[in-house]
Amino acid sequence: MDRQLSDVILSVEHVSKAFPGVKALDDVSLQVGRGVVHGIVGENGAGKSTLMKILSGVYTKDAGTVVFDGQTIEKTTPMESLRRGLSIIYQEFSLISSMTVGENIFLGRFREAGGMRGTHQKAKELLEQIGSSIHTGSYVSELSTSEKQMVEIAKALSFQSKLIIMDEPSSSLTEEELTKLGDIIRQMRSGGISILYISHKLDEIFEYCDVVTIMRDGHVIDTRPVRELDRREMVGMMVGRTIENEYPERPHFAGEPLMKVEHLTTNKLKDISFTLNRGEILGFVGLVGAGRTEIVRAIYGADKVKRKEIQIEGEAVKIMSPRDGKKCGIAFVPEDRKQQGLVLPFSVESNISMANLKKLKKGMFLSPDKERKMAEEKISELLIKTPSPASVIVNLSGGNQQKCIIGRWLETEPKILIMDEPTRGIDVGAKYEIYMLMKKAVEAGSSIILISSELPEVLNMSNRVLTIADGRITGEFDPEKVSAQEIMNRAIG
Amino acid sequence: MDAKTRIGYFVKNNLVLVTIMILAAVTALIEPKFLTVANLGNLMNQFGPLSFVALGMTLAIIGGFIDLSVAGIVSLSAVFTISMIDVLGQGGALIAGLAAGVAMGLLNAFIVVSCGALTQAKALFITYGLSAVYSAAALLYTDGATQHMSHLASRTDLFKAVGSGRAGFIPASFLLFIIIMALLHVFLTRTQTGREICLTGANITAADLCGIPVKRRITLVFVLSGVLSAFGAIVLFSRITTASPLLGANYETNAILAVVVGGTSLAGGRGSVVRTMLGVMLVILLSNCLNLLGVSTYLQSVCKGAVLIIAIWLDRRRVK
Repeated sequence: MDRQLSDVILSVEHVSKAFPGVKALDDVSLQVGRGVVHGIVGENGAGKSTLMKILSGVYTKDAGTVVFDGQTIEKTTPMESLRRGLSIIYQEFSLISSMTVGENIFLGRFREAGGMRGTHQKAKELLEQIGSSIHTGSYVSELSTSEKQMVEIAKALSFQSKLIIMDEPSSSLTEEELTKLGDIIRQMRSGGISILYISHKLDEIFEYCDVVTIMRDGHVIDTRPVRELDRREMVGMMVGRTIENEYPERPHFAGEPLMKVEHLTTNKLKDISFTLNRGEILGFVGLVGAGRTEIVRAIYGADKVKRKEIQIEGEAVKIMSPRDGKKCGIAFVPEDRKQQGLVLPFSVESNISMANLKKLKKGMFLSPDKERKMAEEKISELLIKTPSPASVIVNLSGGNQQKCIIGRWLETEPKILIMDEPTRGIDVGAKYEIYMLMKKAVEAGSSIILISSELPEVLNMSNRVLTIADGRITGEFDPEKVSAQEIMNRAIG
Repeated sequence: MDAKTRIGYFVKNNLVLVTIMILAAVTALIEPKFLTVANLGNLMNQFGPLSFVALGMTLAIIGGFIDLSVAGIVSLSAVFTISMIDVLGQGGALIAGLAAGVAMGLLNAFIVVSCGALTQAKALFITYGLSAVYSAAALLYTDGATQHMSHLASRTDLFKAVGSGRAGFIPASFLLFIIIMALLHVFLTRTQTGREICLTGANITAADLCGIPVKRRITLVFVLSGVLSAFGAIVLFSRITTASPLLGANYETNAILAVVVGGTSLAGGRGSVVRTMLGVMLVILLSNCLNLLGVSTYLQSVCKGAVLIIAIWLDRRRVK
């Protein structure tokens, strides 16, 4: 009994939490062992973040007990949790960008760390411990995403953390940075630190985790050693039904050339030329920062270019602004859904209609009836889950928000649909639906340019793949004939 | 839903209206004359210049900006219009004055757009700077002297009608205000351009990527704010028959106060000119009530500030 207790660092028993209208957590129990990497998976809204916020002290639980390191924890605050040895690394980092790395690690504890000199000295040691050579005097604003993550991890270690919770730690890392993160996780585990690893990406769960807890709709469905599970089983438990395939059958509708891009040059891009065929899904593969997003933004007229020649259906077109791009029949689903895609405080219907306002006109005025009808059509066509077309879009799940953006653009009947990270942060079930929408769009005669950091997604959906590195196109592949390894090699440049 | 919760909802959603009713009731109890026809006409009269500036400010704030230049625009367009009465006649002067408002709005928009200052904070400083420029131009134009309308030889009945004419007990300026407000309300809620202004104000990046001509919409917002401020200036000097080159001082803060108290969100995109009318009404009633209570002007400023802070706090809570 005694021994068993000391083997468990965190024990959550029968915890419940309700918000007005939703039971976010319902009788949730799980135990995290010492020195174990424990994964939590579940679709959006499964209760992962609520649980995490209860552990850190942002929310107070309604019922149940939490025992951390032998101590029962009733009410706590984020700072208290840290001091007890429980750190959380959020998806959006909580670093102060105008301060240095060292200052961030020992924020509010300079005196304990022994003044500025001690701060930088100790920060350096912590960073070295995880094999990072970031200079402790650099400002956080100058760091890459992966470096910021290193700083967060060092900060967690500085509290002598016994448990580190990582929320979607890989969401914006490149493959290379991911390997490094894996090394650090293994190293921390062998140092006796437990890790609660929350992720959408099942590959990582299989690679890093010893045990996994699957959550759905506020319940724990099961906790199992990872090696006892296969992918299909795990996905099935997450969505509550078995999904036969993660991807639909690859569409084959590619026809004659539709758009020719030549000599596209910007500050970052070097003489990009390629052709997009009608009915084709063209995938762009490259590391974050290689220039994938820059290419599509430049084509669409969202960024300044030095040179670009574009032909659509054999005719030269001038695209100087997104407005021109839209007129040429291009649709643009941006990579950052919340910042660039949605108007969060507005209704579902006005988010759908915002690229189609002309269609709503009745004489001089906008017709609310036409707007409602347009939204209702898209809601049933794309299976968007929303209480009503008039509901504020911020309350929808990520997948449904993304479907609204896609619906907005399908309504324009685009020739070319540009999709930049269309499934980022979206759960498995909704992903599949988005793939089906892509398939439907090419069936209807549109062409798609697909950018994604998830290699399997690009490889399974595209008819052709272009690899991009350092602002150049470095190769063209048929994903059905070439291995992922080969493509990745070319994308690294 | 029982009666109690229904009242609760009504109070929550119409806080401004409820406050206005309470203030009116309190004032009526203290001062029985408050409810006479003459006093109601008086109250409507007080809507005057500020209400027009506040309408323009509403558009600017819904479009995602705060136009601090309105103080300068009021000063410069007032002294400019009054000096043009002798040169162009009253009709010509009126048009020239409004054109000056349009021109200053265009200049605001041109500088904001060409500097790429497309965030509220950046544009705030540009319009603040331009306000100083317009105020200084008004001082230079007049050599610092107050301009008088009554001393001029020309006919001024048009301006008199705008400033202090009445239809029955309703002041002409109030009628004009109601008409312009109704037009703007329809414009914002029912036209494509109006919707595009709201979308631009709420998320300029998303609006741009959807093909909405955001720069043109921003320009329109500043032009409307400029021309409405110029109109407010005309109403103001017509009523007092003089225009000092410092006439517009503090108009920007009072206009922002009215807009935000009315419930238009400083975050952009959401709001309405009708709410602004309620905001203006609240500001007027508040000072009326404080005057009747014999509160000193210094303390009245404190009250205004407190009301603004409460309004912003309520707005933040609504966002969450």
